[in-house]
Amino acid sequence: MGILERATQAAESAELYEELRSTVDVTFRGGEIEKVASREILGRALRVIVDGRLGFASTAGEDEEGLLQAALASARHGDPAPFKFPKLSPGEEVEVLDEEVLGISPDELISWGEEAVRAIREEFPDVIVDVSLSRGTLKVRIENTSGGELTERRSLLSMGIEAQWIREGDIYLLWVGRTVRRRADLVPEELIAEALKYLRWGEHVVPAPQGKPPVLFTPKGTVVLFLPLMVGFSGLSVVMGTSPLKGRIGEQAFDRKFTLVDEGRLPYGPSSRSFDDEGVPTSRLPLAEEGVVKNFFFDLRAAALADADPTGSGIRGGMLGGGGFRTPPSPNVRNIVIQPGEGSLEDLIAEMREGIIVADVLGLGQGNIQSGAFSNNVGVGFVVKDGKVKGRLKNTMIAGNVYEVLKDGLKAIGGAPEWVYGTAYVPPILAEGVSVVTR
Amino acid sequence: MEAELQEALRRCSADYAEVRWEELERSRVAFQRDQLMTLERSREAGGIVRALVGGAWGIAVFTDPDEIPQKLSEAARLARAAAHKVSDPIRLAEVPPVQDKFLPQLENDFREVPLEEKRKLAEAYNRLILGFSPEIVSSSVRYTDALRHVIYANTEGTYLEQAIPDVTVLLLAVARRNGDVQQAFESIGEAGGYEIAQGLEERAEAAARRAVDLLSAKPVKGGRYTVVLDQELAGVFIHEAFGHICEADFLLKNEPMRKVMQLGRRFGVEQLNVVEEGYIPGRRGNAPYDDEGVPRRKVYLIKEGVLSGLMHSRATAAKTGMEPTGNARAVSWEHEPIVRMRNTYIEPGEASFEELISGIDHGIYAKGAFGGQTEFEQFTFSAQYAYEIKGGELGEMLRDVVLTGNVFDTLRNIEAIGNDFQLKGGAGGCGKEDQSPLPVTDGAPHVRVRDVIIGGR
Repeated sequence: MGILERATQAAESAELYEELRSTVDVTFRGGEIEKVASREILGRALRVIVDGRLGFASTAGEDEEGLLQAALASARHGDPAPFKFPKLSPGEEVEVLDEEVLGISPDELISWGEEAVRAIREEFPDVIVDVSLSRGTLKVRIENTSGGELTERRSLLSMGIEAQWIREGDIYLLWVGRTVRRRADLVPEELIAEALKYLRWGEHVVPAPQGKPPVLFTPKGTVVLFLPLMVGFSGLSVVMGTSPLKGRIGEQAFDRKFTLVDEGRLPYGPSSRSFDDEGVPTSRLPLAEEGVVKNFFFDLRAAALADADPTGSGIRGGMLGGGGFRTPPSPNVRNIVIQPGEGSLEDLIAEMREGIIVADVLGLGQGNIQSGAFSNNVGVGFVVKDGKVKGRLKNTMIAGNVYEVLKDGLKAIGGAPEWVYGTAYVPPILAEGVSVVTR
Repeated sequence: MEAELQEALRRCSADYAEVRWEELERSRVAFQRDQLMTLERSREAGGIVRALVGGAWGIAVFTDPDEIPQKLSEAARLARAAAHKVSDPIRLAEVPPVQDKFLPQLENDFREVPLEEKRKLAEAYNRLILGFSPEIVSSSVRYTDALRHVIYANTEGTYLEQAIPDVTVLLLAVARRNGDVQQAFESIGEAGGYEIAQGLEERAEAAARRAVDLLSAKPVKGGRYTVVLDQELAGVFIHEAFGHICEADFLLKNEPMRKVMQLGRRFGVEQLNVVEEGYIPGRRGNAPYDDEGVPRRKVYLIKEGVLSGLMHSRATAAKTGMEPTGNARAVSWEHEPIVRMRNTYIEPGEASFEELISGIDHGIYAKGAFGGQTEFEQFTFSAQYAYEIKGGELGEMLRDVVLTGNVFDTLRNIEAIGNDFQLKGGAGGCGKEDQSPLPVTDGAPHVRVRDVIIGGR
């Protein structure tokens, strides 16, 4: 007898979430291969509703009886479930599996790492290069007593290059990376070229301007701006009353140039999926269109509390990944997409004339993120003068509020979006009204 | 399990191999405002094997214990695939094999406490926060307990069993006035029994009071300040800014960084002593034996202002000709051990708090850690709240205080060290590579630092 069938002997409804994560990871340290790891992790989570009360339990491995008893015990002391499990029907599938990724051997991953080390050392012999590569699949199966079963196998391929340039009195640490679902979308040469560009730009340290100079966020740097929005547009933050966007649907909260979409169904998007971790079909969900607040994203619980429809945004895991089967679902973005404007990063540099470029920050999420405030050390940043990159800045902090910057300070949105953090497809953004403090 | 593990290891063809099998029993209760978000008591189990062949590691992670022999072969095969590419092979410092059990008796074993009671405890704290003021609009109260039972064996004859308890409580309040939202929290984490989570009513109210007070606090003006850090923040500073660069794994194949981190190099004033310690009764960062089966050693990272030790795994110890310190830790069975901190602290000095703030004409007293991150010499961390210091006296409450700097400059700029030492384990943990959150403890007395950059508008 299956676990759901056994669950229904004590519970009126139940839901099983099962994931099998299979990965091969290769790690280079100091320019040399250090380890190869294979992971095969089976995780399960069971939700049950008993006498109207919700229970949850999770486990790794095969212990079905333990999982069932734990979920039932949780329900005994749980609260009334605000939602019902949806009927599961396979809708139109999104392309999320590239068989080619499965065929990539450890040797091949190793050869990509070697090429990255070789190419960077050739131009910068003193730079220490660490590389991490990973390929694998996540097989998800959801089944519930409202009927139906959904399964999906999703591929993932990632490469990260960390370059450390250590000279007397100066350490320059650079990280570039990509996470994709499709082999064709990971071009190691592009990543290497990006690392080389930032190393060249960063060879010399120059003083940063103080005050409120124009700030150009590279695609990776825009995380400073979109991370607080991932909290602000969350249906749960709205329900809890902590989102500054609460009650502002239809309002012009941002600059007209700003359009933000939560794309659940982009073919091979790194966070695309046919259904969310509660079995609700995903969608294309505009969050802001031409600066006007359009939608919030909801899981089953937040939707029930807000009297809204679930948006296929019930994700098990944290904002920038992690968590998985051990975490009950909560509302989260799939692929967050900022609609591009025009011009490359270089065009925006020429346009801004003077200012700074923020390519990476330290201390993401620290500070009062719910209010939209950010305050970060610029981990990788550059100084622009006369429309040209003059060198790297150090010991510099940026601070501001996303809701102000994207309303009154948005100068330009570039036209060359990139995938960053495995969850966002974003162009460079030129902004004003960001405070810059430097030593 | 001992016989099976040793038999599997005997048959393994690697130069060296180890198996770690973990069983975890845990409970979690989480409230967000009026919603019970999580109520769970469950178990999980999983394992990892690691094989060294020709100076490269192969690793396999799994959830079926019957597969240990196959996983050992797989790890050896993966190591072999990498080994022929290696020119600077990994070696392991020698340690004597040990057979030991470290299974502490919990006085008030949280596994015996009904889940219902844990729920009631968290709910009571949550009610205190929500009822504190009409301006409190939301809350987050989280209780967790876990007993991590670890069986470890390697091909050198080491066999260990350890049980590591961990209890955490997070008490977070969110206040709102007009459009402004502020939050404050108290965070508790210790290695012990259920008593750690009890009796925290005053802490819950303190979080709520502070969230409300922050609504009236002034945003800090960015600039350079002399800053007095409270014990918690000074502890986070020493962990984030300095501790991480004393983890010898990133020096392993990094000649330039090894030159920067030369033992004997002066990093701070004579009064500065920084310690890394594997076992202090009741502390979260405890690792009696690390996840390579190495017994703990207490390390002075800084003694009298001078760099005098680093944290090591067996590989980094062999590379640098040092002794392993027992710092190779893994966050769970899903991961291999890497060099991590345990209990890390600045030893107390002699200054009283009044002496620390007196003489500061225009400075900041920063309190409570919000978070932090480091990238070698650059670090950043944020205070939960702060006060102005004017003419040697505490003034108005400040908010949005994020500090940043260069660790070497900042250590040199430590001017005075207080006499009011405190150790603190929070509800969070430390993150490194993809392993988070690892239980750690930080500690320090109040510390005064000049020339700290504070971001702000």
